[in-house]
Amino acid sequence: MKSIYIFIIFLVVVTAQIFVPTQMILDREAVLNTGVPYKFKTRPIDPADPFRGKYIALRFKANKWSTIDSLWVRKEKVYVYLDTDSLGFAKIHSVSKEIQPEINKDFIEAKVDWYKEYNNELHVTYPFNRFYMEEGKAYDAEVVVRENQKNIENVYALVFVKNGESVLKDVIIDNMPLKDYVGKEPKQE
Amino acid sequence: MNSKIQNEIKELVQQQVISQEIASEIEAYYHSKKSTSPNRLFTVFGVLGSLLVGLGIILILAHNWDNFSKITKTLLAFLPLIIGQGSVGFSILKNKSTVWKEASGTFLFFAVGSSISLISQIYNIPEDFNAFLLTWILLCAPLIYLLKSNTLGILHIVFMTYYAIEFGFDFLSTGNTPWYYLLLLVIVLPHYWQLIKYQFNTNITSIFNWLLPLSLTIVLIAFINDVDALGILMYVILFGLLYNIGKLPKFDNGRLRQNGYLILGSLGTVYMLMITSFDWFWDDLIKKPSDFNSQEAYISLVLFIIALGILVYSYIRKQIKFYNISHYAFIIFTVVFLVVFSNKYISIALINLLILVIALITIKIGTNKFHFGILNYGLLIIAILIVCRFFDTDMSFIIRGLLFVGFGLGFFLANYFMFKKQKKRKMNLK
Repeated sequence: MKSIYIFIIFLVVVTAQIFVPTQMILDREAVLNTGVPYKFKTRPIDPADPFRGKYIALRFKANKWSTIDSLWVRKEKVYVYLDTDSLGFAKIHSVSKEIQPEINKDFIEAKVDWYKEYNNELHVTYPFNRFYMEEGKAYDAEVVVRENQKNIENVYALVFVKNGESVLKDVIIDNMPLKDYVGKEPKQE
Repeated sequence: MNSKIQNEIKELVQQQVISQEIASEIEAYYHSKKSTSPNRLFTVFGVLGSLLVGLGIILILAHNWDNFSKITKTLLAFLPLIIGQGSVGFSILKNKSTVWKEASGTFLFFAVGSSISLISQIYNIPEDFNAFLLTWILLCAPLIYLLKSNTLGILHIVFMTYYAIEFGFDFLSTGNTPWYYLLLLVIVLPHYWQLIKYQFNTNITSIFNWLLPLSLTIVLIAFINDVDALGILMYVILFGLLYNIGKLPKFDNGRLRQNGYLILGSLGTVYMLMITSFDWFWDDLIKKPSDFNSQEAYISLVLFIIALGILVYSYIRKQIKFYNISHYAFIIFTVVFLVVFSNKYISIALINLLILVIALITIKIGTNKFHFGILNYGLLIIAILIVCRFFDTDMSFIIRGLLFVGFGLGFFLANYFMFKKQKKRKMNLK
C-alpha cells in the first residue's frame, strides 16, 4: 500500500486517539457546568493505582437504603435518587433498577455493593469513589482525617450531578479543599 | 560474517572438500544476507528507549501535580500524545526505517495510555480499570498494521492478557467473562500470520510462538465461572489444541525451543492428566455431575472442534508422518470424562495408563531422535507418576523404596545406553 494511503488511515486513528480523551473532558465539563452540586459526607483511605498515581478512596455515609426487596445482584446497575437532609448533605431518596420518570429528583447511576438481609439494607457503590491527589499528599490526607475523628462531620465530597452522570469536583474538610488543608497541616503543629 | 564460518570454510578448502570457487560463493552469500538484514540491535535499543521514556512519562504524570491548573494538566495530557502522533506520522510519510517505526509506535502506545489516565486523574474518573485498558489497546491496535510493528504486536498481546485477567478476576465478582479478549486476539492474528508466512525462522516469530499460547493458557481461567471439573476439561482440550498446533509441520520442523505450542501443550497435557490421576477428582465428578448447559461446556465444545479440526486437517493433508498418543490425549480424556464410569477406578486406571503410554512413547521418540532432553522428559513423566501414586496407595515402605531405587537405576541405564549408542553411531559416521 502506498504510504499516503497508510497516512490517511493513520489520520483516522489519530482522530480517534484525540477524540476519546477530548470526549471524556467534554462529558465531565458539561456535568460540572450545568449539574447540581451535592455534598456527600465521606471518609478517605489511601490506596494507589499503577498508571494513574495516588488517589484516596472515599467511603460515603449516604450509601445505604432500607428496602424489603432482597433481589439485588452484586455490581448490578441501579439508579440512586438523591435528596438533601436538614444540614444540606446528600441522602438517598430511593434506589431503583430502572429510571423512574415520576420521581422528580436528581439521580446517579451507581452499582449494587451488597444487600444485608438481617437489617434489610441495600448498600450501593457510587461511581465517584476515587479522589486523585499529589503523590505524598494522599497518605497525609488519610492521617489528617483519622486524627480529626471528632470533626469528621466536616469532611464531604462535592459532587455535581446531571441526568445520572456525576463528577467529583473536590473533597472539602473544614470548608477548605483537602489538598490545601493537607498542605497547611505542618504549620499548625 | 561469523568468524567461525570463515574458519570452517578455510578448513574445507584446505582439506579439498570444496573448491575455492564454491568457498567464495558461500562467502558472498553470507555477505549479501548480512546487508539485507535490518540493524536489529539498533531497533532493540530504539524500542527499549521509547518504552522507558513512555513509562517514565506515565509515572511523572501520575505524581499528580497539584500546583498546575486544570488547563495546564489537560495540555500536559495531550502533549506526549501529539509528539507521539507527530513522530509516527513522520515515519509513515517519509517511509522511515524499521527502527523509526518501532520506536515511534512504542512511544505513541504509552502516550495514548498516559493521556487517558491523566484525564481520568483530573476529573476523578473512578475504578473502571478494565474499560481503560480496553480503550487503550483498541486505540493503538491499528498501529500494528500501519507501522507493521512487531513491538506493538507484542505490547498488544501482553496488554490484552492483562486486560482479560483484570476483567476476569475483578475483586469479589464472579460471572465476568472477558469476551473482548477474543476480539483483541482476532485483531492481532493477521499480523502473526504474516510473520509465520514470511519470517518464520526469525527470533521475533518465536517470541510470538511463545506469547500467544502462554496468553491463552493464562486467560482461559477467566472464562471459567465455576471452578469445577469442566474447567479441568477445558484446559485438557486447550493443551491438546496447542500440542496439535505445535505438531503441524511448519512448527514441528523448526527448532524445539521456538515451538511454544508444542512445549506448553505437552507440559500442560501431562500436568492436567497428573491432577486427574488422583481419585478425589473422580469422586467429585461422580458426586456432582457437571452441568452441560453451561459456559464451560460450550467453550470446551468449541475448543474441541477446533483441535479436532486441526487433527483432521493434518490427517487429510497427510502432513504428519507419525502420530503418537499425545495427539489424541484430549480426545481420550474427553471420552473418559463424559462416560463417567460408575466405578471410579476404571477412569483412574485409564488416565494412569494414558500417562504411562505417553511417557513410554516420549522415551521411544527420544531414543529414536538421539535427543537426551526428550528421553529424560519421558523418564521424568514416569517418575512423577510414581510419586503421585505414592500419595494414594498403601504400599509398604520397602516396596516403595525398592521401586524408587529401581527407577533411579533405570534413569542411569537409559541415559547410559543412549550415550553409548550415540557414540557408536558417531564412530560409524566417521
